[in-house]
Amino acid sequence: MGPLIPNGIIGDGWDFVIAILIGIAFGFILEAAGFSSSRNLAGVFYGYNFVVLRVFFTALIVAMVGIMYFDYLGWLDLSKIFILPTYLGPMIVGGVIMGFGFILGGYCPGTSFTGVAIGKLDALFFTIGLYVGIFGFSLAFPLFENFYNSGSLGNVTLTDVTGIPASYFALAFTVVALAAFWGTMFIEKRVRKNMKQYKF
Amino acid sequence: MNVNNTIDNQPKYINPYLGGVLLGLLILATVYITGRGLGASGAIKSAVVTTSNTIAPAATKSNNYMGKFVSDDHSPMYTWLVFESLGVLLGGLLSGMLFGRVKKFRTDRGPQITNRKRLFWALIGGALFGIGSQFGRGCTSGAALSGTSTFALGGVIVMFSIFGTGYIIAYFFRKLWI
Amino acid sequence: MNRNYIILTLIMLILAFGTLFLKMDDELDQVDPEILLQEIIQPTRYVTTDQVAKMIIKGDPSLMLIDVRNEEDFQNYSLPRSVNIPLDSLLNPENLSYLGIKGTKVVFVSDDDIKADQMWVLTKRLGYKGTYVMKGGLNCWMQTIIEPQQPSGDASYADQETYSFRKGAQMYFTGASAESSDDAKVEVQVQRREKSSVAAGGC
Repeated sequence: MGPLIPNGIIGDGWDFVIAILIGIAFGFILEAAGFSSSRNLAGVFYGYNFVVLRVFFTALIVAMVGIMYFDYLGWLDLSKIFILPTYLGPMIVGGVIMGFGFILGGYCPGTSFTGVAIGKLDALFFTIGLYVGIFGFSLAFPLFENFYNSGSLGNVTLTDVTGIPASYFALAFTVVALAAFWGTMFIEKRVRKNMKQYKF
Repeated sequence: MNVNNTIDNQPKYINPYLGGVLLGLLILATVYITGRGLGASGAIKSAVVTTSNTIAPAATKSNNYMGKFVSDDHSPMYTWLVFESLGVLLGGLLSGMLFGRVKKFRTDRGPQITNRKRLFWALIGGALFGIGSQFGRGCTSGAALSGTSTFALGGVIVMFSIFGTGYIIAYFFRKLWI
Repeated sequence: MNRNYIILTLIMLILAFGTLFLKMDDELDQVDPEILLQEIIQPTRYVTTDQVAKMIIKGDPSLMLIDVRNEEDFQNYSLPRSVNIPLDSLLNPENLSYLGIKGTKVVFVSDDDIKADQMWVLTKRLGYKGTYVMKGGLNCWMQTIIEPQQPSGDASYADQETYSFRKGAQMYFTGASAESSDDAKVEVQVQRREKSSVAAGGC
């Protein structure tokens, strides 16, 4: 059956309607969970608010385990879904740069949109920063074009690389995530006790 | 406002685990319907390509990076991710109105820095995130979250390097936040 | 509050553990009758004897020949590198392990099309991909590869080419001496376009 659009079950014309609907749901969940506040987001790195970790990893394990069941029930043809291509070096470097961006800026792109939506100026500046950054990247692209395309491994999954079935990864991520949820619950309580002021 | 975790002072956020489950189901639905995950930084990239294409079409086409995203049949804005990101704005607004968080412009910051500093660092952080997301082929939502959900190796790499770096450098920038 | 979290944790753990036990059944996923019908109607499952001969000669490692006749016939004559899996023993787990390997082409061979076709339908029903049938079976193999008929003088160039390839293949499989040896050898070595009309003049 699924994925519906690549399999032609839903026509291409519906693409953008569905995009907006999915976006609305995405934005709603992010905002409702508190991702529109940079203080909540940055809290994950300082131990006073683990909402990022909780939402992010719960979503991750639900999606991972869910995909396994969808595949089993025959609802989803895993060979037809998009697998992010892997570029080893550029992805590590990109991740490190994004890590800096996260600490300094306090947002990531999706969450900054929701921040803008409810009137956060820092989110607006972050979004402008994103625009400037990508523009700069495009202009300077010839300088690091070789690096950008290096380390390509193709559209590989963890299973392709390690030979271990996907379900083991789903289980491993679940166990680690659940352990982290319990662990951070205690950290958060302790850190918050020591904080003088925490304004949302 | 001195907060000691009293109920009154807590903003009305939904339970993070509920949010996580909903987000996970949304990813599942997105993959089920479209065959690919969510994303955010791609929309900004489309906006960059569009403005560049309007100002200087020839230079944009000859730019090795932006040239890939320019096509003659439709504007670069006419892509899935742009519509999805518009939806994110709408959804954020909807939730903000529902929970009473839509107010006039304001700035979130740590207790020890000024608003101006905060905005300056937000701009720098955004620029870095923009650059990083191009190298990483996606940001937290596109690469780290949706990529890892579909068991892509790249997604896991991006996720660990973002959060790993965050924790390593958090100490040095603590003035910004605590 | 804490008790709820404990229950949720357990539910998530059980669900995640459950995925470990899913994969087994998944491989024997059954095909929708409509899709099966579509595939049966289409002739894409057939490969010609010439294509099979070419792959054997080239030593194509992705080729997996499965002879579906009974053991006796298999002993009498079989294609090189073929494996004998009689129709009635297809469902042995041991035999099933030959199927469904990514990147290999499984080609069923019998005396004619019928048994191989039956085998093909069965494997499709079991959900395997990459299975094919050698068109015309071994009877056709005999006529085209082992004893190729020389086309008449005014036959098309393509037919002539097919014939010279077959003569080369004949030498390869039977060790028969060729009349026009130079010509034939070249034909075997040169890798022709896969979609050339070698199928012409088949069975």
